Order: sequence, then C-alpha cells, then structure tokens
Amino acid sequence: MTTYIIRRLLLMIPTLLGITIVVFAISRAAPGDPVSLGMGPGGMMDAQRAQDVRVARMRLYGLDKPVHIQYATWLWRVVRLDFGDSIKHHREVIDLIKERLPITLTLNIISFIIIYAVSIPMGILSAVGRKKFLDRASSVMLLMLWSLPSMWVGQMLIGYLCGPPLNWFPPAGLSSNDAGTFPFFPWLADRLWHLVLPVFCLTYAGFAYLTKQVRAGMLDNLRADYVRTARAKGLSNWAVIFRHAFRNSVIPVITIMATLLPAMFGGSVIIERIFSISGMGLLAFEAVTTRDYNVVMGIATIAGFLNLCGLLLADLAYAMVDPRISFEAAE
Amino acid sequence: MDKPVQQKHWGVSYGEMVWREFAKSRFTLCWLGFIVFLFFLAIFAPFLANDKPFVIRIEGQLRLPLFRDLNATDFSIFLAAIIGLIQLLLIGRNRKRIDPSIRSGVLWRQIFINVFILITGIMLLYSFIPRRLDATDYKSMVASGKATGAIFAPVPYGFGRTDLKVREQPPNSQHWLGTDDVGSDVLCRIIHGSRISLSVGFVAVGISSIIGIFIGSILGYSGGKADFLGMRLVEIMMAVPVFFLILTIIAYYPRSLFNIMLIIGLTTWTEDARFVRAEFFKLRRQDFVQAAISLGLPLRSILFRHMLPNAIAPVLVNASFGIAGAIFIEAALSFLGFGVAPPTPSWGQILSLGVSTTGRFLWWLTVFPGLAIFFTVLAYNLVGEALRDAIDPRLREAL
Repeated sequence: MTTYIIRRLLLMIPTLLGITIVVFAISRAAPGDPVSLGMGPGGMMDAQRAQDVRVARMRLYGLDKPVHIQYATWLWRVVRLDFGDSIKHHREVIDLIKERLPITLTLNIISFIIIYAVSIPMGILSAVGRKKFLDRASSVMLLMLWSLPSMWVGQMLIGYLCGPPLNWFPPAGLSSNDAGTFPFFPWLADRLWHLVLPVFCLTYAGFAYLTKQVRAGMLDNLRADYVRTARAKGLSNWAVIFRHAFRNSVIPVITIMATLLPAMFGGSVIIERIFSISGMGLLAFEAVTTRDYNVVMGIATIAGFLNLCGLLLADLAYAMVDPRISFEAAE
Repeated sequence: MDKPVQQKHWGVSYGEMVWREFAKSRFTLCWLGFIVFLFFLAIFAPFLANDKPFVIRIEGQLRLPLFRDLNATDFSIFLAAIIGLIQLLLIGRNRKRIDPSIRSGVLWRQIFINVFILITGIMLLYSFIPRRLDATDYKSMVASGKATGAIFAPVPYGFGRTDLKVREQPPNSQHWLGTDDVGSDVLCRIIHGSRISLSVGFVAVGISSIIGIFIGSILGYSGGKADFLGMRLVEIMMAVPVFFLILTIIAYYPRSLFNIMLIIGLTTWTEDARFVRAEFFKLRRQDFVQAAISLGLPLRSILFRHMLPNAIAPVLVNASFGIAGAIFIEAALSFLGFGVAPPTPSWGQILSLGVSTTGRFLWWLTVFPGLAIFFTVLAYNLVGEALRDAIDPRLREAL
C-alpha cells in the first residue's frame, strides 16, 4: 500500500507540472501582452516615450526574458502560492482564493454526499428490479435530468419558487443579511435554507450519471457465478444483494468521483453566478469578465491541483477497498 | 431493406446491422426525427423567420428582398446541407451497387472528398459574397401603402431587428413567444439560434474526435514508453477542469463562434483518445493486424485502414453524447456572456435575459430557450444511448 501511495504521489508531480504548463502556455500564446493592455489605448504620450515606458515595464515584469525563464519564474512563484495581485480587487490572488475556496468546497462536498446517498440505493433498486416499472421509469427520468441545463433549472427555480407568490426560498447568497447576529442553530438553519436550491442544481445531473453506473455494476455482479453460488447456498435475497453483489459493485463507483469532480467544478461557475454565491466559480466568472489575468491563472492552477487531489483520493480509496490494485503496483 | 434478395446475396454490412438494431425502437426514431427537424429549422431559418418579404411590389417593380439579403453564412449552410444530402444518397447507392467488403473504404473516400468540397466551398463563399445590409423597413412600407403584394415569412421578424416600443412583452398574437429586452422576437431568435447550437455541436465534436482518434490510435498502437508518456498527457488534460480551462482561454482570446468551437474541440478529446487507445490495445494482438504489419504496410495504412474501422464504434457513440455536451457548454458560455457577439442569437444568450437588469423574472425568456436546449440535448443523448445499444446488442441483452 505504501509503495502504491508513493508511486501515485510521484506520478502526480509531472501531471502538476503539465497543468502549470498548459495554463502558462494559454496565457502566453494569447494575442496582446499585459504591458500594452495595461497602458491602454495609444495617444496618451508621444511614441518615443511610450516605447521607453513599454521597455521599462517589460523589464519590470520580466517579459523581456526568454519564455522558459519566464515560466520558471512564474512556477517558482506558484510553488510559493504567490499568484500576484488582482487588478480588480487590489488584493493578493491567493488571499482571494483562500477566502472563496471553502464556500465552493462546501457546496461541492455537500452535493457529492447527496449524489452518492441517493444514487447508490437508486442504482441498486433499479438493478434488482430490472426491466420492471421502477427501472424503466427511473432510466428515462434520469436521462431527462442529465439533459436539463443547470442554468435553466436554476433560473426557473429562482423565478418560480423565490418570487412573490410563493417566496419559499431565498433567491441569492449563502445567508441572510443579518445572519452574523444569529445564534448557532438559527444560523445553521438559515445557511441550509440558502443551500437547498444551489445544491439541488449541482446534484441532479450527478444522480443520472452515478445511478447508471451503480446499476450497470450491480447487474454485472448479479450475473456473476459467485452470486449464483451464494443463492445456491440458500442465502436470503438481501444478503446476496448487499453482502455479495453490492460490495463488489461499489468499488468502481468510487473511481467515478474522478469524472464527476471536474464537471462539478465547472457547474459551480454557473450555479454560483445564478445564485450570487461568492465562491471560486463567481470569482472566476468576474475575473474573466474583467480580464483579471492573475486571478484567472491562479484559479485555473488551483482548480487543476484540487482536481488532481480528488483523482488521487479516488485512486487511494480504490486501492484501499480493492487490495489487488496496490498489490499489482507493488510487484 | 426493400430488396431482401439482393441483400441476401451480398450479406449485411456492419453499418446495416447497426441501423436495423437502431431502427427497431420507434421511440428513438422519433427523437432522430426531432434532430432532423432541428436541421430543417437551422437550414431554412432565413425562410422561416425573416423581416424581409419573399416578394414585394414597390412602385410597380417586383423585388425579392429576402433572397437578395442571404449572406455567406446562409449559403454555406445550404452548401453543407446539399453535400450532406448527396452523401446520404451516396450511402443509399453504395448499398445497392458496392460489395460490403469494400464499402467502408469507398464511404470514407466519399466523405473525405465531400468534406474537402465543403471547406473549399465555404471559403469561396465567404470571400466572394459581399456583406450586405438591407435596413429597409418593408413592413412600414406595406402599412403606408408604398408597397403591395408582399409575402412574408411565417415569423415576420428579423433576429437583429430591434423595436424598443415592444420590449419585454410576454407572448401575444404578434410575438408568439414574446420579445426580449430590445424588442426582438423570441421565436425568431430561437429559430436562428438553432444554427449556432448545431454548428457548435458538430464542428466541436468533429475536432475533438479527430484529435482523440489520432492520439488514441498512436498511443494504443505503439504501447510501451510512448503510451506511458502519452497517457500522462491525457491525464493532465483530464485533470484540468474543462470548464475552467475554457473560461481561461475565453479570458485571453477573442470571442468568436469559431474560437468557441475550437476551444470546446481542443478540450474534450480525452474520452475519445482513451476509448480508441483501449480498442487498439485489443486489436494490436489480432491476426489481421499482425498480418498487415508483416506485409510491411505503411503505418498510416495499418492504423487507419485496418485498425480504425474496427475501433470506430465507441467514438461514434461518444460523438452523439459529445454533441449534446458541446451544445451544453456553448449554451452555458453564452449564458455567462462569453458566447458569440450579441446580434447573433444563441439559446444560452436568450436564456440569460430571463432575469432582467431590474431583477424581474421574465418567464418567456427563460422557459422557451431552456426547452429548446433541453430537447436538443435530450435528443442527442437518447440517440447516443440507442446507438450504443445498437452497436453492442449483447450489452442490451444484459442490461
């Protein structure tokens, strides 16, 4: 197991480097350079002076050096978590991210737990009663959920449930304006109340995906010989399903985390924008609209890194429940 | 299928087998019909929704403003539609005239030639057809009696025409699906928006499939160190959250339709690469590939003539889901305001107007474009699902 973990961690390093190269390459290959953008339209000063200022600024930002040295300098700063200052917020990018990240993580972790908590039983139910009414109905329903655009659902929910006639949920933000004065439990209730709609929007597509995977895995296992053996031994139906088939089919479901994670990060941009939740997604959105390049690069790097951590966690969990994996790696 | 004798003589090709399996379900055929309908909308959008009349008589002179106003984009789409139709007819002809064993080779050549003609044609059209701007208000001319005998399109509004007198109106007899914040007709914008969605879907998936097939086939065939390194590359691409990557690129590059297609295509190829690689891994050990290698065939021939036709199935299935995904991404980008430039209509952009600047919820600007996105995405997903079942009937038995 230890060998496996070390191996995985070592493999992470080139991947991380790769992510930084991708982000750096995008920023450098783009048309226009930050200096001319920063100087605004010409005509403010005479050509000679503009040229002097340009050269001076290029030197100041290290843009006169070759690309690989620029990359190395940038990478060294990234390693120290120094992404520079945000143009819009006049603060360090890393502070902004530190402030916003917990919000997005909370949203995504809650959504994750709900997706798994709903999808696993649903997948098992439809696998056990396959081709029956529940199975068919749920498969069509789930495909429809999968095809629903989250911005549409979010906007409809706000429009119909948060509007004047019903007023069921708060339309924006994560807590009420005066939430700071609340004692703990009312505060928690208020927070949960605000979370209902955004979390719903983040989860429903995941239900479809995960339930399908659980169902497929369960069906594979229910047809396996060992299940027939278990039934032949005279075990009860529930014991066969839960103690035998389920435990084997839950393994691949863990790795699906790896594919759900990036999708949810992307989804949180839209959801946070619709519900005005000031998390990473909204920060990214604002950074892109205001061309706040330092923030954009910082978020892309951090998001890639977090995503990679998620993949690593999924792999480790996989290795933990399935000893064959780490055993093979150790050999 | 209407001449069973001939087919018995020739046997059934793989494509026909898949199609028969696919066509068994009426439900999926309906959704395929819906996709055909969307194509119809996209192709004939200027004839269905346009503020210029087909014919009009001005001061005794017969004019054809609508036809005169068609621009290079319209003609490119017509060209693409005609070539697509020719390709379909050719497929039908191949079935009758060509032996199944060589049919796929012929098909690939035809597709290659047609795509070449299409691309050259589009370039020629764009360089030779001038941009015209006909801002004449034909409707007021008809109303004031200056012109007579006008025949308008079923939805007599232009997608770029603004009319501040009727802004933000709910659906009524004049504007069936209401109007948006500058008084453009929503139905007209939805009809024209289908063009953006479909073209983004197809071009983006085309780009990503080509990249995926290319990388996947090389990695799967070579194996060993190259494969290891290549898979790290794929892993890097998978570890970057696609939507963040797209946003990053959008932040730096000019926003145009082609850029959006390119960006989606360049960031979503990893699935295809993995599928093709896995298939090539299996195929590499098979006798016919070994035979091709020992015959000394060039690598290109081994990879793309011998191995690829046997590995293309998962790519096709993935393409259908990929189109749905690309439509989704484009809608999300337009919704966030990073899509095509404003006068060009896009479903996501209409949807983003559903909450007005004053915070009012305008249901008709939310419900209708949302439904359009939803049904389109659902159709592609359902067709993809049916295609997967058809390609692997064993799987359907099992599931």
